[in-house]
Amino acid sequence: MGMKAWRVLSYLLLISLLCAANAWALEIRGRSSTQFLWFNDYYNGREIELAQYLRFAVTNIDKDGKFSIYGYGRVGAFLSNGDRENEDRGNGRLYYLYGLYRDIGGRLDVKVGRQFNNLSSESALIDGASFDLKNVGPVGFTFLGGRNVVFGLNGEMGHTGDYATGMAIYLQGFPNTDLDISWFRKWDEYDVARDILGASFKQYLFQNMKLYGNARYDIVSEVFSELLGGLRYFPTANLSFTGEYYQSYPTFDTTSIYSVFAVNRYKEALFRADYTISEKLAVNFGYTRQDFGDDDGWGNVYIVGFTFRPFDVLTIDLDYDRRTGYGGDLNGATLEANFDATPQLRLAAGVAYDVYQRDSMTGEETARNYWLGARYKMTKSLSASLRVEQSVNKTYDSNMQGRFTVDYDF
Amino acid sequence: MKKLSFIFVLISVLAALSMISITQAVAQKESHKDYGDGAMSVPECNECHQGQGIVPNHDAAWTKGHGLSATRGQSNCSDCHQQSFCLDCHTGGGIDAKLSTRNYRRDAVPKSHRNDFLEIHPLKAKNSPQSCNRCHDQKYCTSCHSKFKSEDLQFRSHRRQFRDIPLSSVGPNHAIFTEAQCRTCHPGGLLPIHRWAGDHAVEARRNLRACQTCHSEGDVCIKCHGARTGLKVNPHPRDWGSVKDKFKSKGGGRSCLKCHDKY
Repeated sequence: MGMKAWRVLSYLLLISLLCAANAWALEIRGRSSTQFLWFNDYYNGREIELAQYLRFAVTNIDKDGKFSIYGYGRVGAFLSNGDRENEDRGNGRLYYLYGLYRDIGGRLDVKVGRQFNNLSSESALIDGASFDLKNVGPVGFTFLGGRNVVFGLNGEMGHTGDYATGMAIYLQGFPNTDLDISWFRKWDEYDVARDILGASFKQYLFQNMKLYGNARYDIVSEVFSELLGGLRYFPTANLSFTGEYYQSYPTFDTTSIYSVFAVNRYKEALFRADYTISEKLAVNFGYTRQDFGDDDGWGNVYIVGFTFRPFDVLTIDLDYDRRTGYGGDLNGATLEANFDATPQLRLAAGVAYDVYQRDSMTGEETARNYWLGARYKMTKSLSASLRVEQSVNKTYDSNMQGRFTVDYDF
Repeated sequence: MKKLSFIFVLISVLAALSMISITQAVAQKESHKDYGDGAMSVPECNECHQGQGIVPNHDAAWTKGHGLSATRGQSNCSDCHQQSFCLDCHTGGGIDAKLSTRNYRRDAVPKSHRNDFLEIHPLKAKNSPQSCNRCHDQKYCTSCHSKFKSEDLQFRSHRRQFRDIPLSSVGPNHAIFTEAQCRTCHPGGLLPIHRWAGDHAVEARRNLRACQTCHSEGDVCIKCHGARTGLKVNPHPRDWGSVKDKFKSKGGGRSCLKCHDKY
């Protein structure tokens, strides 16, 4: 197992030991999830893996209850390593591990460590710090910065000199209005790779309407990399209509050769309706018109969804979507049922069926997927679940995979 | 100039809203901590929200639209959700995986990654070209695509293999012939002009990210678009003259030097 994975595992074990120390004045809550997974890896064949997740929140560390520590990570080890030889048999991901000190002087929240941040200009997972200055009149401020963390298929993919920073100013205390302006910069091996200005807003009107928008402006390319504007009208609590316009212009890191190429602007217009007819039935419908540029660069996406609750203990979801036009055709549906057989036992099953053609020179393909699942709560804090899935598609005549999970909440 | 206009407009809007609302008491939004963790169902939430003039949320449209609500500095997501709730979808965590949640290898994947996503993802990626980047860095795509043969990926512009080219609009394709028969129709190896130049340019302009997923360093592009050798076809956008200096100053000229001797 690689050193990184061992290090993550050590942290998690240490924290697990702390969890057992009930005599401490701290409050420690969290979940441990042990997962046994079996699957076919496209590259390496059949693999069996044991994974251990741990998520925790340590609160009330200080007298005023302002300081907390949060963590979430996973370590995994191959029990059967497919066709691979001489490869690392372990893997791990530290999703976050940060300390949070709230309300310093009643105005400042400080977060230090690995954390996920989401600005209107960009989101990023960083190893660093963020500061949220609030209650400064009608506005608040956010500042963040640190090492930019990028996950790949088997672990972290970043390298030295990858950093991210950002800041935001936002309106605060207005129940019907949200507005923020932000800036985000990312470095790639010490060179500025991204420089983005962002803004988002939301305004409620007339007790039944929401106007919203989001813009991202790429400072280097001097283009709006994304623009979104929408209106949602909800005459009743059960019915809403949404109209949305969105456009994007593909931008790349300045360090990439692709950042210098001419590209088309992508545009789409969307309409959707959501109607909860009764407690037993909800429906939704949507249509999106896509424009990829040029005369024949059009696409159409239709979606229809139903949720049935014939009994309190049974929920059935049916979703259908159809795509036509540039880039290929897709005709697909999913069906999913969840049934609470007893307060302790949930049974679930689902089917997905897709017929697709990626372009005019490829044939039509079919992909089918069937799954069954069950979760049993042995106690309030201990549960076990099993999910088994069978897929039949272009790649596999039969691809059986699944996971068995034991969750413990503390 | 466009940038300055953008900043000016946004700041103006912010200032105007602040002025309009300055007399309004600065109050915190409703805390939802007591409603989270299963204490209240989404329909119950929406009954209250409608009374407040707030749109029903966490409905079928929520997956697509939640990002905007989560970007605000004082978003109230954390009243009910820990960061793991975000990262389980965005970075493949699975500690709260539902029974319906699928896995791709060891990683849990969101509902959008349904049914043989390995094959279907090029179609889904077209639906919203930026959506992949919400969770995946470009390096993620490259790390996987680099393991494929180019002819396996089935882009129209890449299917130049003689077997796929039809003899006429109604005729069979070249797959029926053997290599020994080529010169029967193409004496001296003479070939008609193929559609590579036009087709690939259209696809590249519409879907340049897809090019990058396999040709991460652009070496194959530079063969024709480089400034040193080859056809030297200019690939830059029309406003290149006004922005090129920024690529020099911000990116250290790294992308420039791939094609040019100096920048």
